[in-house]
Amino acid sequence: MKFHFKDKAITGMMVVVPEQERLFADDMRLFNAPENRSRKLALVMGYRAHRVVEAGVCASDLAEHGLRKLFDEGKLKSDEIDALVYVTLSPDHFMPPTSCILHGKLGLRKDCFCIDVTQGCCGFVVGLLQAFQLLDQEGVEKVAVVNADVISRKVSPKDRNSYPLIGDAATIAIVENREGAGKVFADVRFDGTRSMALKIPAGGFRQPCSPDTAVMSADAEGNERAPDNLVMDGTAVFNFAMADVPPMLADLAHDAGTDFAGIDKFYFHQPNKFMLQKLAEKLDVPYEKMPNNVVENYGNSSGATIPSAMALNDADVLCRETKRVCFSGFGVGLTYGGIVMNCGNFDFCETINYPNKGE
Amino acid sequence: MDKTQFLDELANILDEASVEDGANLRDYPSWDSLAVLSIVALADSKFGFTLTFPDVKGLTTVADLWAFFEKNRTK
Repeated sequence: MKFHFKDKAITGMMVVVPEQERLFADDMRLFNAPENRSRKLALVMGYRAHRVVEAGVCASDLAEHGLRKLFDEGKLKSDEIDALVYVTLSPDHFMPPTSCILHGKLGLRKDCFCIDVTQGCCGFVVGLLQAFQLLDQEGVEKVAVVNADVISRKVSPKDRNSYPLIGDAATIAIVENREGAGKVFADVRFDGTRSMALKIPAGGFRQPCSPDTAVMSADAEGNERAPDNLVMDGTAVFNFAMADVPPMLADLAHDAGTDFAGIDKFYFHQPNKFMLQKLAEKLDVPYEKMPNNVVENYGNSSGATIPSAMALNDADVLCRETKRVCFSGFGVGLTYGGIVMNCGNFDFCETINYPNKGE
Repeated sequence: MDKTQFLDELANILDEASVEDGANLRDYPSWDSLAVLSIVALADSKFGFTLTFPDVKGLTTVADLWAFFEKNRTK
């Protein structure tokens, strides 16, 4: 579905990552794979370090930490949030919505609209579009888009295909109407026929968790995981990203009256360095215009990767000037989307740690 | 990309000095998911077609792989 908006702006951004860092060099010891191949994998995919939560920490804990910091520093007031869009694949509970839990903990206004959005890799794009739609309602001035996930809790440490790339994070984007910000062009597409390419098989109503779903077994390559763990068909996801994302983005750029050369920066979801380099090559975009270093520094935190890429690479620039940017997310769903808009002159753009609590 | 270049690229992916037409792909010690993904990416970028995991599963030797690339290439 195509979306058009006018005069919408991101005015501030905060990234919260767990203090706890895991190194690929340590992860490697758990894999049933030759060390030289693991080293090559790390080189190609960009695995080095990733941030993961301590046991028991929920995605909303990271989000709450970030929002309280913004309140404490006077960058945001709890009573000026007109809507909270909470995008996650790792809710605290099935019931109630996690946005309602945060609403209570943070003391938000009773007329602050709360909604949970179940989206992963494309979650920043979908969350922003949700916020833009809310901002078209009279009286809505400020929307907080929170992307938060702790997928590390669902990945087997013995799964070389997924564990080294996974990271946890929460990001907060403040979205407002701003006169003169210009037009926003967006497109989001879905292919539900391939919805099972990225999944956590057990834990929902279709296959509830049980002692059986916690039993690990090894795949052909020696990766051990259980039905409780995340599993992805890496090759299928790669083919999807290469085949479906570039034409969608070419349409979007055309719609926006530009081409890829007319865009200053491409903030894309960060599955791994390899896939981003291949996408940049396919779009004929120089690597410098499409950051790919979130996985090597923090890990892939699903919907939180796009704000992470912005804060990690361009925090200063984004507070100083406005750029023509293209966002794109692709993955879980399968969902793929993009936004072309002006972005910058943020009031703040920072990254903070969620401190370790354990001994 | 011609056959010689393809074989060089494949050898590089498999961490070998060279690869032989008749060799079974799965006999190379470096044949793993990274190798498969690298071959899939090669098909996409240099040969212009989508190679799937099931496609790869159906191929046994280096010669089979090259024949599949030749048959499906669009560039």
